[in-house]
Amino acid sequence: MTAKKRILLIDDDQDFLFATKLILEKGGYEVFLAENGKAGVEMWKSVAPDLAIIDMMMETWGEGFSVLSKIRATDTGKDTPLFMLSAVDLQGPYQSFEPPPEFPKVNAVLQKPVKAEMLLGYIARELGQKAP
Amino acid sequence: MNPQGPAVLIIDDEASIRDGCRQALEKSGYTVLEAADGAEGIRMARLSPPDVALIDLKMPGMSGMEIIEILARDLPDTVLIMITGYATIVSAVEAIQKGTYDYLPKPFSPDQLRAVTRRAFEHRSLKIEARRLRAEKERMEKSFITFVSHEMRSPLVVIRQYIEALKSMAGERLDQEMAGIVERCSSRIQGLETMIEHWLDISRIGEGTFVWKKESLDLVQIIRRSAEEMAPICGRQGIRLETELPEHLPEILADRESLLRVFANLIGNAVKYTPEQGKITLKAESDAYYVTARVCDTGAGIPPDKLPFIFEPFYRARGKQERQPGSGLGLTFCKRIMELHGGEIGVASKEAEGSAFFLKFIIQTRTASGPAAPFRPL
Repeated sequence: MTAKKRILLIDDDQDFLFATKLILEKGGYEVFLAENGKAGVEMWKSVAPDLAIIDMMMETWGEGFSVLSKIRATDTGKDTPLFMLSAVDLQGPYQSFEPPPEFPKVNAVLQKPVKAEMLLGYIARELGQKAP
Repeated sequence: MNPQGPAVLIIDDEASIRDGCRQALEKSGYTVLEAADGAEGIRMARLSPPDVALIDLKMPGMSGMEIIEILARDLPDTVLIMITGYATIVSAVEAIQKGTYDYLPKPFSPDQLRAVTRRAFEHRSLKIEARRLRAEKERMEKSFITFVSHEMRSPLVVIRQYIEALKSMAGERLDQEMAGIVERCSSRIQGLETMIEHWLDISRIGEGTFVWKKESLDLVQIIRRSAEEMAPICGRQGIRLETELPEHLPEILADRESLLRVFANLIGNAVKYTPEQGKITLKAESDAYYVTARVCDTGAGIPPDKLPFIFEPFYRARGKQERQPGSGLGLTFCKRIMELHGGEIGVASKEAEGSAFFLKFIIQTRTASGPAAPFRPL
């Protein structure tokens, strides 16, 4: 029995964190939660998870992107799979926002709410496991 | 208001009139500028726009009417008053049509001049105030839409996430009845999300901030893709989805994403009202001017007395026969999108036989040199 893979979840909505944590734990992962970008980056450094899921739109628009850049800039963050979460509707005010071309790699962008099996499927694929 | 105080520009070729006006107006605290002809007056006005301009109608060189035309176009905040020695109704009407606020027949007394000028200043402040309020109202409406889009949707997103969590945790432990309840909750919440989305889109279309990308496209491709996307839903309800399409259609200028949503709406509606074993057919054809698509079903049809209202928000022609209530805004959304495209939406229906919704688009005309003619939605 190998140790559980660790997932860091960064989102400013406590309920979203809790609901998603339940899904991830059901999927057999150890889950760490951060309620804002700053706490997320710190936790990234202390926990060194196998994967992180970051909400795109926290206190300010683009907060998620800045968190992503900071994580990618760390030693452990270079190759770790990172997912972005987005609840921005297609016609929203941020529709035209596009990350610059040299932007750090995002392994997947998931639309909120995210289906349990879909979320677990994406994670399993990135971590090279069989889907639960 | 000008920094030097309220400024009046007098454009008149007669020095005595300019002097008289200056004296009368300076006494009342106005800053007075003078120009002896139209060219100079326009130059001065452009350099430092006055609050009010008095313009003589009859001058050598550029006429007062020409000056009025130019100033009304270039300086919308400057209130124009025409001075005329031979006031006729015709010239007064023409000047007012061109953007003059008032006119002053010669000869006039200093008191008359001051009264007309004062009224012009009042008019100017009201105009500016009205514009400020309008801008404020628009700004509030826009930020409200932004607010709704985030604040109203995020609780729904969270609820659906909880339902996902509940399903994955309970798994097999939920019996069929409980699982059904969870499923119904989920679908009603999704319906509410769709309603908000439609409402937002309709609001954005209304205020002109709906983002859409016009491109030349073949409607056949859109219909085929819609059919692929909607086939599973039809299949689940035991309804056949067929297409009767030509190989190609003349190109139209349209927004791909919105049209896919329009078809998804119409097909989704047809599914709701069509019984099992029924059939939905997607058709398209063109003539010299129009491309017309049709979504036909073999469903319940719409009673004739209800037909005129089905594109109205929240109008339900057959509330009780719906398998599952929709957003109430789907057809309104489709209608707005078609209006945005300068097209038309309509329906033919017969009770117990079915309905056929049509979408009519103007064929994109090309100029001789090749590029598409500019497209103006109605």
